[in-house]
Amino acid sequence: MLKTKLLWLTILLSLASATSFAQSNQTATALVVGSKAPDLSLPGPKGDTVSLYSLKGRIILVDFWASWCAPCVKEQPELLQLYKKYKHAHFKNASGFEIYGVSLDNKKANWVKAIQKMNISWIQVSDLKFWNSKAARIFDVEALPFNVLIDEKGIILAINLHGKALEKSILNQIDK
Amino acid sequence: MKINALLSVILIVTAAFSLQASAQDKTQPWNANQLLAPEVLAKNIGISDTAAPLIICIGPSALIKGSVEIGPAQEHDNLVKLRQLLSKQPKDREMVIYCGCCPFDKCPNIRPAFAVLKEMEFTDPKLLNLPHNLKVDWIDKGFPINEN
Repeated sequence: MLKTKLLWLTILLSLASATSFAQSNQTATALVVGSKAPDLSLPGPKGDTVSLYSLKGRIILVDFWASWCAPCVKEQPELLQLYKKYKHAHFKNASGFEIYGVSLDNKKANWVKAIQKMNISWIQVSDLKFWNSKAARIFDVEALPFNVLIDEKGIILAINLHGKALEKSILNQIDK
Repeated sequence: MKINALLSVILIVTAAFSLQASAQDKTQPWNANQLLAPEVLAKNIGISDTAAPLIICIGPSALIKGSVEIGPAQEHDNLVKLRQLLSKQPKDREMVIYCGCCPFDKCPNIRPAFAVLKEMEFTDPKLLNLPHNLKVDWIDKGFPINEN
């Protein structure tokens, strides 16, 4: 009897620890794979507004980042390689690959400096409002880096994949 | 026999999680009493009181209403600015610093800033408890921000 009680107690304690550990690492999001991605319309570094929906027809990676976010900055060279490799690739239904970079910077100078330093040649937008950015609200971003891969019709293909897992998702759309 | 083996595994896993959490706490320059809950600070914002805490942003942007912007404390010039600001304050004034860029374990700003507060011997230094970031732990809860 005592053994059974002890067993249940330790199971409960373990579950509580595991749950706490999982919560500290999760990035909850309201977006769902297979549903339509919301639109965004934000200014680029030169003030020209670019909307996400205007890019329909291509596979798009919506990449949330900031120059103050070390892991995001570290990921940019990998994205540059993906961009070069797949920008003009032959996809099953899409006409190419594009990255829509959304920065949560709040200082334009820092944002522009980071773009230049890392030779980022894809679309960049920001309302320069740090975590109060409407883009972070609309896409329910809870941690950086964060990204959403969408297809030519604006349907979400993948949420927050990085490295090889992200490339595999893009490859799945290639016409083989 | 099987139950004993299962119990042992579960106990080891639980102990490992506890030890990990304990070890993390000991490496921080602040203690649990020096972490200020966002709810507590939010209630005091806007109240006209000379004893109100000085809220200092040592991260990318001073979004919290009434806070003073210093800039990211990982940069030397901003640490100098922080020291200049603190040098004009009474040592017993409640000081609350925050960054909110990233989770505590990845934030490059909170540790050097909190170390300065301790080094300058403020008696009531506080770190705003934003374990995830400013959006999740402050903005999403509807607490007051500086709109621009």
